[in-house]
Amino acid sequence: MKRLAVALVAVVAVGVALTGCSSGAPSSSGKPSILIWADTPRIPQATEYQKEMKGKVDVKIETIAQADAQTKISLANRAKKGWPDIIFGAPADTAQFKDPSNGYAADLTKLVSKKIFDGFGEGNSDCLYDGKYYCLKNDLANTVLWYNTKIFAQLGLTVPTTMQEFADTAMKLKGTGFSAGAYGDQLYYAAFLQSSECPLADLTAANTVRIAPGDSKCTRVAKTIQPLLDAGVIDKRSPFDAGFIKDVAAQDKVAMTIGPSWWGDFVIRPQASWNVPAGEIAAANMPAWGTGKDNKSGAYGGGVFTVSSHSKFPQAAADAAVWMTTSNWMATAATTPTFPAYGPANKLWEARISKDAYYANNVYTAMAAGANNISQVDRPVRFPFNAQFGATLSADINNGKSLSVALDDYAKSIQGLAPQSGYKVVTK
Amino acid sequence: MARSRSSRRSLLAGSIMFAPYLILLLLFGIWPIIQATITSIGPSIVNPAGGLQNFADVVADVRFLPALMNVVVFLLLYVPIMIIVVSVMSLLLDTVQGRWNLPLRLTYIVPASMTGATAVLIWYFMLEPSLSPYQSALHALGITQGNQIWRQGGLAWIFVAMAFFVGAGNWIVVQYGSLQSISEDVLEAARIDGANAWQIGWRIKLPLIRKYLVYMGILVFAAGLQVFVEPQLISGSVYTGIAKDWSLNQLSYDLAFQSNNLAGSAALSLMLLVVCIIAAIVVIFRTDFFEGTGVGKK
Repeated sequence: MKRLAVALVAVVAVGVALTGCSSGAPSSSGKPSILIWADTPRIPQATEYQKEMKGKVDVKIETIAQADAQTKISLANRAKKGWPDIIFGAPADTAQFKDPSNGYAADLTKLVSKKIFDGFGEGNSDCLYDGKYYCLKNDLANTVLWYNTKIFAQLGLTVPTTMQEFADTAMKLKGTGFSAGAYGDQLYYAAFLQSSECPLADLTAANTVRIAPGDSKCTRVAKTIQPLLDAGVIDKRSPFDAGFIKDVAAQDKVAMTIGPSWWGDFVIRPQASWNVPAGEIAAANMPAWGTGKDNKSGAYGGGVFTVSSHSKFPQAAADAAVWMTTSNWMATAATTPTFPAYGPANKLWEARISKDAYYANNVYTAMAAGANNISQVDRPVRFPFNAQFGATLSADINNGKSLSVALDDYAKSIQGLAPQSGYKVVTK
Repeated sequence: MARSRSSRRSLLAGSIMFAPYLILLLLFGIWPIIQATITSIGPSIVNPAGGLQNFADVVADVRFLPALMNVVVFLLLYVPIMIIVVSVMSLLLDTVQGRWNLPLRLTYIVPASMTGATAVLIWYFMLEPSLSPYQSALHALGITQGNQIWRQGGLAWIFVAMAFFVGAGNWIVVQYGSLQSISEDVLEAARIDGANAWQIGWRIKLPLIRKYLVYMGILVFAAGLQVFVEPQLISGSVYTGIAKDWSLNQLSYDLAFQSNNLAGSAALSLMLLVVCIIAAIVVIFRTDFFEGTGVGKK
């Protein structure tokens, strides 16, 4: 019965995909024809590209769920046909696609001009493997400090610039009923572990990964954050937890939280989510763990376009990926929700967000400051690095285990998984 | 002569009637098994040499033992609950004849019209303390936070509940149908001999539909062993990853599509198949599943 149900869902999904396909331009011989696989938020971009290329390139578009990218490419690999020319997915998908065992991802170093890569700056580093680029980054999701100016004024707080100040400020919320955020999901990693540069997916060689929860960059996180959890000024629930939203966030009780750049528009603002009133929320630079270069951001999300090595029209495919990630249209469209990774494009995007009256300050400044400063210690890897948070790290935190136990459990689980994807594991 | 001709004709008729099933069995049963067998001993990302080592690798995978334990717990809860509740409910339904019988049968089937995906959403809604229509009941039990429900220790119960409500209604109606096949004479005789309703149910009706219950047990066991939709969908919702690789079928899926290890995935699927077949054979041969029709047996 269950298999039948799965099969039916698959059939419906294929039907949806085919409907999407049939709306594409009719293919004719002579001009290049490319197929784009993207998730729903990327469809307006793709449709615009299809319009612009009319008569020059036949662009076909199929909608897929982002989570299905690896599955669908594996199936195409198995069938040895049916690959899309470009696909939208997570950086970890590209890690899988560029591996020789998969072979889907094309090396873009020669297909894309140096000017484009320069325009990305650090923004495209997720796509860099051994000096070659295997994808183009669509958007950045670096963490910043979101804070509520009304609550800060009411309590006479100053905006923290270091993690120690963040912790001290959070402690001042004790007994006030206000919260410094909820971190019981992937956010605990992005906000604290990754920004602290705790080595959990540190590729010391192409197929050697260092997963070392005992490193001082990891232990300092629990040392700083555990007291906040114990004092109840940060929440052990997920920031998406229905209870947290109802009891805390939607009551306008979050004084500050570390969160990625897309949180303002998608978590804090929407009525169905935290629903914080206009004019209260501002963004500040990500608090620094230490001095000098010890001031990295984490990242929560951020997608990439990968180009097929099987494409009959590699240049047309690469051009499409370039347009999708760098075009002025994409940067200025109201349908482009997230912070573009490409420098010139995000400058244009700035025009929109910096004028947005919802925010109490120009939130772009903090986003831009962290954008080229995302920690590169952990790299995209082939084992399910992100998915494993839910099975161990956040499950432990939600259930009230200590942060160091939660990290150890998580590290142990990925130390077990990494060899299954062909990695050698170093634990020290 | 006449006799052998008629037997040849019945053989022909039988073959024609069996052929459509045979073709489907070959295409969608036997051929995939052969394919899986070939794939399972092929090279994999962890074992480029291929061979039976793939089976050992899967068993040694850190995800295997926890998933196996989860499925065992799930089966230990799911199969007995299904058999007991379905038996009791269908016996009760059988005693309610007349105008209420049809609406009752409909009522049983309604929850079954929710497929796995919908059921998961509905259960999420019902069990989430801040959204649930049964909020006060949950609060009375001391459950005020989602993570008191959605925690790894108790997931098996939730998945059993989901699977039960999707599957039980259909089976109640099916078993009611098998109860209908019991001859009225038998029941009449029992009544004349002084059996009360309880004795008729327990000593007459249940033994007579035993083989249908066995049949249901096999199918329920096979479905339970392959539990996939419920944990997979829960893992993709609010508590992302909470039931990742929770069941063996999920592990098989992830081996194929996340670990890029189709050989391991095929090996695990074959292991599940063997367990299913062995379980079915044991149950069938330990009972009189293939003997006579049971009810009409003299």
